[in-house]
Amino acid sequence: MAAEPIIRFEAISKRYPNGTEALKGVSFSIEAGTIHAICGENGAGKSTLMKILFGLERATGGTIRIDGQPVDISSPRAAASFGISMVHQHFSLLPSLTVAENILLGQEPRRGLLVDRKAARERVAALAARYNLEADPDARVAGLSVAAQQKVEILKALSRDVRVLILDEPTAVLTPPETDELFRRLHGLRRAGITILFISHKLGEVRALADRVTTLRAGLLSGDAAMGDISDAEIATLVMGTTKTVPPLREPHGFGAERLRVDNVVLRSLAGADRLDGVSLSIRAGEILGIAGVDGSGQRGLVSVLTGEVLPHDGDFHLDGRSARGCSTAALRKGGMAHLPADRFHQGSARTLSVVDNAIAGAHRSSRFSRGAFLRVREMETEARRLISDFSIRCPGPRAPLSALSGGNAQKVIAAREFATAPTFLIADQPTRGIDIAAAAFLQGRILDMARQGTAVLLISADLDELLALSDRVAVLYAGRITAVLDNGPHLTPERLGPFMLGLEDAA
Amino acid sequence: MIRRTLAPFALTVLVLIVAVAAVLIPVALATPDPIGMIDTFLFGPFRTFRHTGNIVEMATPAMLCGLAVALMFRAGMFNLGVEGAFFLGALATAAIVILVPLPGWAMAPVALAGGMIVGSSACVVPGVLRNRFEVSELVSSLMLNFAVMFIGLYVVNSVLRDPSAGAMVSYRIPADARLPRIVEGTRIHLGTIFAFLACIAGSIYLFRTKAGYESRIVGANPGFAAHLGLPIRSVMLRAQVLGGTIAALAGGIELLGLYQRFSWQGLPGNGWTGVVVAILARDRPLLLIPSALFLSYLQVGGDLVARNHDVPNEVVGLIQALILILVTASAITRSPRLLALLSGKRKEGHA
Ligand SMILES: Nc1ncnc2c1ncn2[C@@H]1O[C@H](COP(=O)(O)OP(=O)(O)OP(=O)(O)O)[C@@H](O)[C@H]1O
Ligand SMILES: [Mg+2]
Repeated sequence: MAAEPIIRFEAISKRYPNGTEALKGVSFSIEAGTIHAICGENGAGKSTLMKILFGLERATGGTIRIDGQPVDISSPRAAASFGISMVHQHFSLLPSLTVAENILLGQEPRRGLLVDRKAARERVAALAARYNLEADPDARVAGLSVAAQQKVEILKALSRDVRVLILDEPTAVLTPPETDELFRRLHGLRRAGITILFISHKLGEVRALADRVTTLRAGLLSGDAAMGDISDAEIATLVMGTTKTVPPLREPHGFGAERLRVDNVVLRSLAGADRLDGVSLSIRAGEILGIAGVDGSGQRGLVSVLTGEVLPHDGDFHLDGRSARGCSTAALRKGGMAHLPADRFHQGSARTLSVVDNAIAGAHRSSRFSRGAFLRVREMETEARRLISDFSIRCPGPRAPLSALSGGNAQKVIAAREFATAPTFLIADQPTRGIDIAAAAFLQGRILDMARQGTAVLLISADLDELLALSDRVAVLYAGRITAVLDNGPHLTPERLGPFMLGLEDAA
Repeated sequence: MIRRTLAPFALTVLVLIVAVAAVLIPVALATPDPIGMIDTFLFGPFRTFRHTGNIVEMATPAMLCGLAVALMFRAGMFNLGVEGAFFLGALATAAIVILVPLPGWAMAPVALAGGMIVGSSACVVPGVLRNRFEVSELVSSLMLNFAVMFIGLYVVNSVLRDPSAGAMVSYRIPADARLPRIVEGTRIHLGTIFAFLACIAGSIYLFRTKAGYESRIVGANPGFAAHLGLPIRSVMLRAQVLGGTIAALAGGIELLGLYQRFSWQGLPGNGWTGVVVAILARDRPLLLIPSALFLSYLQVGGDLVARNHDVPNEVVGLIQALILILVTASAITRSPRLLALLSGKRKEGHA
């Protein structure tokens, strides 16, 4: 080892102003030209460490060395000058702008005072070609599928001279083929000499991608090893301590009457990813129907119709035998619907409000949490504390703003809120995205429990293992159509679903 | 816990001290008696009881206008109609006490109620436009303020004007309609107590009632409110009706508390002060009280300096402007929505 490591963390500590100790003296090195994975439970401090490296947060102790030299990374601009770029856990693209505008934001080519649109388009096209990540420079981000947005995020990160690329849970939103695709790109980037820092909760991905793995637990370094020297089980133990997780078990049970029926729903929409082209479905009480499909096949459209957000152009859907077309979101929720949205921060929560406010919202009109015009603040707080302990949410307390929680913990707050309404019909859209292994198993167990008690569940997930572990039946959505509805069982495998998901086969 | 809540507070205080010092010291150095001037500015307001009273008098409309602004900002409505509502509320109150024959005891309550209804329109109309047609409440309320002013001045000139008075002012406000003074030796009136209570009530409304909770959710993230099925449009409108009503009432109270006649020749600026107060208080109703008192203290100090030293009154305006810039800069970085609104483009990445 003659060369200095490109990055060396030396006793990095971070104490947030609210007193949370997110990192407690973490030291390790990252070798140039490698893919280095960082694993840890929700709230372990992964994002915090990456934000420190990227200049978004300041360490309260320790030193970062780049190429052996101690450096002061005081802002993302400073990070950029060291060639460090980051793709965030939650996307930061501006939906109303085009792909090119987003990628070149702040570094637009100019002609006089105006932005040179032609040059901008060419630069983005060249960038896309160079890294082999195709993207339409003129498309509006709002209309792109999540996978496509992911590529734009990465291109944006690569648009300046990059030596180190940080990816904070880049695969959480991707289906397996999309993940494979991304991994091929990342291997390509490594060959081009770029060092990649990669955060993920999925050990399989870490195994497939990384050269080395570092594990964090509650702000402390718990392990650091070359991938060849460590087994998945060892990584899991380093991440979680001694506890073992039991994967949830689907038990056969009887179903009740049909709870949701969707008849030939058509949605013509500007954003292609939302389109529905005559979708019909049925879910009985106690049944979990999984929706498989590449992201952008109509999942978003289906959910927005079923939650009353948009009116379908044609077709109808029934809840408990009554037509629900044209019902408002409020009416649907009152009728027993709950919805765990895929978009945590635009739909699922308000980051500036407290954990209590986020956890109780929606139920606040019930007599349990209000009397007349007034809120029963103490009741709300008691309930929030109960949810925090039930869902093992790591947070400073119920009054902390949601923005002080780690990504996975914020998401657990949303899940806790939606599950606590004891719904008769639950839409769970990517319920365990970004959640660590133990917490994911817990949430999956809760979904199974709810089904056992008679809730009809529509489960949408990019994670086929999750889908096959929980669903009683799996419907495949492709280009706004249901291409197959299959009973779950040992015969149903990801390989069997693949052709339907890619539209190569159609059983409907 | 205590340290956690005090940290931002301490920071704000520090910012304020810096802002005051940054303007005051250079200005003072340009006068023949720098020490005397700074002394007058900082301690003058407390040397006589009457001047200390002035602080409280001035803080009264500032608290109420600040409350109006805070309730609307909390709901995500950047409605600046407070200025117009304050003006119109005062004018309508004056018109009622002057034109409508009422028994003495009923004058103030009836006139204030009337003023509230008429004056609130300066906020309500932009609210309705936003509700029905998605017109930006920021733009429409700003424009409406000036329309309200010109209509108001026309009414003063053609209906309420006392020809025997030299200037363009209304007839005298009947003595029975005036709000009682409550502190001997000052002009502090009943409205001040009302303003304190209103700030407390505002805090209860925002944090302890269903309606306030819903308005905070809508203001924090409308997408979240939609997901929950909250009636977003009516929540937004409610905030603007409430804000307009409070601002208009503030105008009426100011008029009946301190004035002999309606004598404003233009927008009085109390609404703008309310915006500064609300931003300084970070839209927290209880913090409106200290921030209104603080800004009024600066104003009184500035007035004293202007009277006794050779310094223009605008210095206070300069300090206010600097405070506003420093405080909004930190307020903006805390509120992604405000940031998006103001810059249209830039947004912090967060993970
Ligand atoms: N802005 C903040 N203010 C206060 N505390 C914070 C803030 N951001 C994170 N924390 C706390 O720091 C700890 C580490 O958070 P971090 O976001 O680094 O976790 P993570 O490992 O990325 O988790 P996840 O897998 O859930 O994304 C958590 O306990 C979290 O509550
Ligand atoms: Mg994270």
